Amino acid sequence: MSGDILVLEGVRKHFPVNSLRRHGKFVHAMDDISFSLRSGEVLAIVGESGSGKTTTANVISRIYRQTEGSVVFEGRELSGKMTRTEELKYHKRVQMIFQDPFGALNPTRTIGRIMERPFVIHRIAEDRKAVSEKVDSTLTQVGLEPPDQFKRKFPHELSGGQRQRVNIARAFAVEPDLILADEPTSMLDVSNRMSIMNMMLSLKESHGVSFIYITHDLAGARYMSDRIIVMYAGMIMEIGPAEEIITNSFHPYTKLLKSAAPAPETGLKRKPLITGGDIPSLIDPPNGCRFHPRCPFAKEVCSLEIPPMKKIGDDHYARCVL
Amino acid sequence: MNRQESEQLLQCRNLVAGYRIKSGFVHAVDDVSFDLERGGFLGIAGESGCGKSTLAFAIMRLLKDNATIENGSLFFNGTDLVGLREEEMKKIRWVDISMAFQSAMNALNPVLSIGEQLTDVIHAHGEVRQSEARDRAIEALKLVDIPRDRFNSYPHQLSGGMKQRVMIAMALILNPDLIIMDEPTTALDVVVQRTIIEKIQELRKSLGFSVIFITHDLSLLVEISDTLAIMYAGKIVEYGNSDELFNMPLHPYTIGLMNSFPSLTGKITRMGGIEGKPPDLLNPPEGCRFHPRCPHAMDICEKSCPALQKVDPRHSVACFLHKGAENL
Repeated sequence: MSGDILVLEGVRKHFPVNSLRRHGKFVHAMDDISFSLRSGEVLAIVGESGSGKTTTANVISRIYRQTEGSVVFEGRELSGKMTRTEELKYHKRVQMIFQDPFGALNPTRTIGRIMERPFVIHRIAEDRKAVSEKVDSTLTQVGLEPPDQFKRKFPHELSGGQRQRVNIARAFAVEPDLILADEPTSMLDVSNRMSIMNMMLSLKESHGVSFIYITHDLAGARYMSDRIIVMYAGMIMEIGPAEEIITNSFHPYTKLLKSAAPAPETGLKRKPLITGGDIPSLIDPPNGCRFHPRCPFAKEVCSLEIPPMKKIGDDHYARCVL
Repeated sequence: MNRQESEQLLQCRNLVAGYRIKSGFVHAVDDVSFDLERGGFLGIAGESGCGKSTLAFAIMRLLKDNATIENGSLFFNGTDLVGLREEEMKKIRWVDISMAFQSAMNALNPVLSIGEQLTDVIHAHGEVRQSEARDRAIEALKLVDIPRDRFNSYPHQLSGGMKQRVMIAMALILNPDLIIMDEPTTALDVVVQRTIIEKIQELRKSLGFSVIFITHDLSLLVEISDTLAIMYAGKIVEYGNSDELFNMPLHPYTIGLMNSFPSLTGKITRMGGIEGKPPDLLNPPEGCRFHPRCPHAMDICEKSCPALQKVDPRHSVACFLHKGAENL
């Protein structure tokens, strides 16, 4: 497949548990994750907390090394060691936007200093003047105008939305090919969310980058993305085109997420949830399908073996025996 | 509940509350009025810093030391809470009005088991034998679907959703008439949030208490509440029946909020949201507090502040764009 910028094949990530009682056990944060990201596409990863979505982003950005499986970025395998130059080159092409806009900026540096770093580290601009011009133009792009005023400020002087704009500006500054956005709007005020989402979409268009958008909000994923991956307890449950996942959701977990989302249109006429319960422990994940203890349609076979990915429709796959 | 259906449980009139700091007075709640019927469900929505939590703490009379209620009245079952002395308030607090706090993670004491914390509540409000208090605590836990073998668990042994349910059990334990819930589901996953909302609604039907539900998630609020109040910069800008407010939002801020959450159904359209940020409440803007961010701002908006006016019996709005507001 030539149009794929990133391919994950059977990726596992297990974290050792460092406690005496559970010594030798592992947290199964990612198990058998395979998907590909097409060039220029927005792929959303949706799931509850603890489903392994952030671990997936961290493996792709090489913050963690995977335990098993391969991550191929533009035809190059990433699992091995890289030299410093290679690492730097990779990170110029793959940037990340973090969830917490308050924690992601150094509180002792001005916005100007923070914004200069990517240009200096990746040697994009030749001299100080060029750096300064670049900083001005990126800040203007994310709507922080006039840039001179913002460059003098410290992170604590900005609102949450403005801080997240700085983070986004910093990620787009080095003209990357892939951006991993880890719940970029979940800590922002409602009135800011839409403008940040729209800004990311328009920057994505103008820069032609691919996007992995991680969220727990199915409606937000639908708004942002071309395709959606639904993750549960470290495994992919369903993957397919965004509209298809919402209207023709196949996996019971996707249906559960859908029915739990607030929907003012339905009001009190809504049906009660089909299942409650909590996400299972990832140290001893359930045998078979990870969702079967909560699944209202579980059969005997569900507790015995992990169901394979099954083709549901065009480009639409689900891990379910139904 | 033998009391009359139509009776108002809580009447808040022209309430002004805020924080006194070195550089002046922060008007966190400014001239807020609303009614809550017995058994009603009032939702208060707004961005962070709009004064919704201050309002909740003012009703509980639990404001911080530097905060005061400057003006207005809070009639609860016929008594004005604003004028009560602390000893008198103690008899009402938690017995008649209780509260479920925002972060269940921090609101529970980490070194006491949940059973001890629940029985503490009972002991603090009357002479009760230990065994009876224990039975009542287990009963309250049962209401929120927490099995009795969790009685001796410590907060860290429970999941986020369970801790939040313990908070609700604690609010319910003395059978109050009103429970104030300050963002009780914000830190939780959607599925857990849904189960808790269902639980609250179910208990409200069976026990007949009223709820004031505070959140920034308007999409959730429209669905669950009878009456909605939209707060902006310390003021209620729109107030009315939830259905009506959702189908016909009038204030530009409400319209902006409604456009701030994408939907799971219907066509995907580019949505707007609201540009700018909420004003500094130390020096709120002249006139209507929303005018610097308002797409329809007129000259008059900069000069005078619109009051909440009824547009129909169940719907009022504070905006010069709408009928009745201009002849102030």
